[in-house]
Amino acid sequence: MAAAGSVRAALQVAEVLETVVSCCLGPEGRQVLCTKPTGEVLLSRDGGRLLKALHLEHPIARMMVACVSSHLRKTGDGAKTFIIFLCHLLRELHAITDKEKDSFFSENIQTHGRHWKKCCQWKFISQALLTFQTQILDYVMDHYLSRHFLSIFSSSTKERPLCRSSLEMLLGAYFCGRVGRNNHNFVSQLMCDYFFKCTACESGFEEVLELVDDCFVELKVGVTGLPVSDSRIIAGLVLPRDFSVYCPADGDIRIVIVIETIQPLFSTFGSEFILNSEAQFQTSQFWITERTKAIMKYLQKQNVKLLLSTVKQPDLVIYCAGLNGISVVECLSSEELSLIQRVTGLAPFVVPQAASQYELSNTAMVKFCKPFILRSKRYVHLGLISTCSFTPHCIVLCGPVQGLVEQHEVALHGAFKMLRQLFKDLDLNYVTQASDQNCTSSPLIYKNSREINDLPEIVNGSIQRPYQDTVVKNKDELAKTQTYLKAYSNLVVPSVELETNILCSTPTVTLTDTYQTDATLRCFSPDKARIMDDHEPFIESNSANSATENTRREISYENLQVTKNARKGSILPVRYKSLEMCTSQSYCFSSVPAGCVLPVGGNFEILLHYYLLSYAKKCQQSEETMVSMIIANALLGVPKILYKSKKGNYSFPQIYIRALHALQTNQPMISNQTGLESVAGKYQLLTSVLQCLRNILTIDLVINIKRQPQEIYDQDSEEEL
Amino acid sequence: MTRLEAKKPSFCRSEPLTSERVKATLSVLKGIVTSCYGPAGRLKQLHNGLGGSVRTTSQSAALLANLPVTHPILKILTTSVQNHVSCFSDGGLFTAILCCNLVENVQRIGLTPTTVIKLNKQLLSLCISYLKSEACGCRIPVNFSSTQILLCLVRSILTSKPACMLTTKEVDHISTLILRAFLLIIPENAQDHIILGKSIIVPLKHQRVIDSTVLPGILIEISEVQLMKILPIKKSDSFKVALFCVSLSGDLSDTGEGNVVVSYGVSLENAVLDQLLNLGRQLVSDHVDLVLCQKVIHPSLKQFLRTHHVIAVDRVGVAVMEPLSKVTGTRPIGSLDSISPSSYGSVKDLCTAKFGFKHFFHLIPNEVTVCSLLLCNRNDTAWDELKLTCQTALHALQLTIKEPCVLLGGGCTETHLAAYIRHKTRSEPEGILRDDGCTQTELQLIAEAFCSALESLAGSLEHDGGEILTDGKYGHFWSVQADSPSVVNWPDLLSRCGCGLYSSQEELSWSFLRSARLPFVPQTCLPCEATDSAGNLTLDCFTAKLSGLQVAVETANLILDLSYVIEDKN
Repeated sequence: MAAAGSVRAALQVAEVLETVVSCCLGPEGRQVLCTKPTGEVLLSRDGGRLLKALHLEHPIARMMVACVSSHLRKTGDGAKTFIIFLCHLLRELHAITDKEKDSFFSENIQTHGRHWKKCCQWKFISQALLTFQTQILDYVMDHYLSRHFLSIFSSSTKERPLCRSSLEMLLGAYFCGRVGRNNHNFVSQLMCDYFFKCTACESGFEEVLELVDDCFVELKVGVTGLPVSDSRIIAGLVLPRDFSVYCPADGDIRIVIVIETIQPLFSTFGSEFILNSEAQFQTSQFWITERTKAIMKYLQKQNVKLLLSTVKQPDLVIYCAGLNGISVVECLSSEELSLIQRVTGLAPFVVPQAASQYELSNTAMVKFCKPFILRSKRYVHLGLISTCSFTPHCIVLCGPVQGLVEQHEVALHGAFKMLRQLFKDLDLNYVTQASDQNCTSSPLIYKNSREINDLPEIVNGSIQRPYQDTVVKNKDELAKTQTYLKAYSNLVVPSVELETNILCSTPTVTLTDTYQTDATLRCFSPDKARIMDDHEPFIESNSANSATENTRREISYENLQVTKNARKGSILPVRYKSLEMCTSQSYCFSSVPAGCVLPVGGNFEILLHYYLLSYAKKCQQSEETMVSMIIANALLGVPKILYKSKKGNYSFPQIYIRALHALQTNQPMISNQTGLESVAGKYQLLTSVLQCLRNILTIDLVINIKRQPQEIYDQDSEEEL
Repeated sequence: MTRLEAKKPSFCRSEPLTSERVKATLSVLKGIVTSCYGPAGRLKQLHNGLGGSVRTTSQSAALLANLPVTHPILKILTTSVQNHVSCFSDGGLFTAILCCNLVENVQRIGLTPTTVIKLNKQLLSLCISYLKSEACGCRIPVNFSSTQILLCLVRSILTSKPACMLTTKEVDHISTLILRAFLLIIPENAQDHIILGKSIIVPLKHQRVIDSTVLPGILIEISEVQLMKILPIKKSDSFKVALFCVSLSGDLSDTGEGNVVVSYGVSLENAVLDQLLNLGRQLVSDHVDLVLCQKVIHPSLKQFLRTHHVIAVDRVGVAVMEPLSKVTGTRPIGSLDSISPSSYGSVKDLCTAKFGFKHFFHLIPNEVTVCSLLLCNRNDTAWDELKLTCQTALHALQLTIKEPCVLLGGGCTETHLAAYIRHKTRSEPEGILRDDGCTQTELQLIAEAFCSALESLAGSLEHDGGEILTDGKYGHFWSVQADSPSVVNWPDLLSRCGCGLYSSQEELSWSFLRSARLPFVPQTCLPCEATDSAGNLTLDCFTAKLSGLQVAVETANLILDLSYVIEDKN
């Protein structure tokens, strides 16, 4: 059974999903109750989780869910917006294609030929989308949108101090969409406190975020049956088990970690222990006892007060530990072990072969270790002394039901992921970047007499196929942005449309490179050098053709330009010669710097909508205009839902008109919302949605396979005879 | 073998609360819990069609654990109540009924969930801050120099569980026992940081309730055969005790992952037995009087110990290990040879005792922080119920030590609180609304729903068709018999309010709870003498009730906030 993949089918699917997720969107969103097959109940407003819980059957729906989850893995946010935006895009596309071709209405009686034709058209659209994503979007982001960006850092110096109030606003907005309405303030406050308590010094917060994100499961304790407001932060680490033996100790406590039983065993794996007499048995038992005692004595002499063990220790070890005043915690999970090791840098203790006199090296200190009782359950509470910038703290999350506690856990974890993303720079693809295996086409954009001319360079492993360079004289009028532009006049090689270039090229991979900040740009010089090397033969072959490469660079930071030019000079003297007329060689390096935020409430969408529309007006090529219009209109879907329940002055049309007016008259946009959201997250979301849409558009036929999914067996096995 | 199977799609429903089925099931659940509530509550008989014992109960812990709930919304409600009960033991029915009432009342209003949730939260914080404030009119501080209030608290808990089947005299007896058991576990020379001991409930079924008793120290049940083997205990003022956590049966412990090969003719049993007897010799030479073992003691070792006048008791089980080591001051021994003398402990006295038809070995420690509560009741199900009630009462007493105050029971706290909220929302709505964007009308509506939820909660204490009244001064709860004459002189019909604090001799302008009343200012700040003079008050545990109130409102908010239910049918 095969079904034609069509925009209409995809739209129907997306609309159904939209109705489900849109009820959870934004501060007015409500909860969804999911039951697991085991009978547990789970509360959620997390789009990704809901989509997974639905267990969708429809192939296109499953593809959408797969796209959403791959997006979530990257950013941890935006599943609901993804679906809504995708749905609006499909709706716009559907409307447009309906208008253009009458034959679209007669879908059921279409001939095969017509279907294929349509698929070709969709493919065409999807290529236009790719062009948009790689060229126009980044351009608009960089040139227009960037001036609206706010920063989460209170100053733009190198150490980037975090501004607490903006972080609060950011988290407040995040939790608005994640947890129940009556709890989001509390949870975001809790998270904010936690973050600042864990961050010992101002600068190390990236490390803290990474650690918390990785080990979040070990850093939280869920308690059911208490009101949510009893949740709190506790200094130190809480392990969900009791002491095997507890000996109170004061002051700084020395700890060791063991990963094997301390008591020697009769035989180890793969060996045999032969007992020849009863006396032998008794002496070996005696030896084992004495040996265990000696080790514990040794530990006590070394002033060890706490033994953390990943395995269950025999009774004898526990007894000896108690006699020597050593507390023991057994059965640590490997995750807990790795967390403790990351925080303290402690290596496991190796049981010495001979009774040793030397100093014990693998120890760490804890400030305290004591039992901790939560809801009449006992925990081990360790005051680890950290050797990294993370000061260990735990979150105790309370809630009346497990489902709610879990929801808060997931939301907190997602928030850490989101913050981690936020503090990374997001690079926009302006720069030609050739990786080793893949060929990359990343066009440079020229905005010249309202035309886009590009310079695709496709470098393919060993075979380098230089494509046509389009070098056009630039009469640039974009001087109002502080970007640095140069006009070049070069030899013109037949200019080819970008679309054809892509058609010729093998599947193109667009690398979204996450570069570090401008300050660390320098460390990428080796990378750059490689690119340059790749270009050398390319240039040479070009010069044979008496073609000159023209590369443009936009640098917002003039000081960087100097260093880069100097470096390039040393690498590519040849190139300089051939390009003497170019006074400045530049690569475009625009990025969304780390910590960029915008006010919530559809601000990003409205801004992008406005600029895309104005871009589309100026644009002459019909595809670009069309694609820009489609995306611009679809962008409004999210704010429309956000303001659905608002009336009067806060209704969507009012806000929209006010925002447009403010933009036209160059006034600052006034937002009635207090939260902030990450720009990079939004940008990534947009690109993910476009990618998903392209996937949908390029499918022409869905083939349903009835067979059970099987493993592939070796066909010619001898058993068949 | 793994089998790949395609997952079935889930079942998705929107606006679950509006469906008739959900409404019906909610009201069934509400009916069940409401009818159990209070001293006059009706009992429920739980039985499994496939067999097993029959349980007669009116307690939420037993009821909800056995109730098969299928709808996810009800599951949320029942699990949240169960979680509350496992934290605080008390107030499960209170939480469940209040939650049901809130959901039902709010649905009737038909405001948007956002507004409802915001306002419910505001009202809850109003309640909490009032109950925690000094001015609260339904809170009594606990004076630990007299046992009066604590005894009232225990008695209220006992009387509110009718399935225990206790007479008034038995209630008095059991409540004294519970209080005594609680006082025994408080360490005598307490410093700033009190660590409570443990009271162990020892079952003794099919006996008269009056035979229940509380003993300091630990009772270890032994069989009659064992008892006969124990020699008459010589008189002494202290006995040396050794407590083993390792098995003394002579089995080989973990030999590692490899193989152990035993040559022909080598008897490991003999080797181990030698080792055990060596251990016995050491114990004897250390003058140990009593050997206790968590696991099994080898018969030969037992025999050896007996011949040397050492009492050996084995199979005490892991549950009593901690109290045993605490009481005797021993360190559980995990080694078969060379015992450190510091691991031994001692007890003041040893004796054997017989209660009912069971024999016990009784350890009386030097310093009592552990006691045994021997609990008797006529049949299994009544005993189970009584045991649960005793645990609840002991827990309530512990919570009261942490937060030294109690709330008025018998429905008075609820009606008083409702009166207070009515008054507050009328007199100063701006303070409650703040900047939420809700109107005063919405606040009035929600406050009315909230108050009537509280009042109908109090009203569900009455099961026999009687009328509920409330007064216009304190806002307390008064109930009238069903067959009272219509034209009435209220003071004659009423005697005392629900909690027993006020009598009807005062002129208090009573009115029906169901009827519309004008909001009034309930008198805050309990007068001290009122609490001192009143003899028999009905009281509730403060911490449990406060948390129950919070959990009920939070759960109701949670349920009202649901817009979809996705059921995974796999």
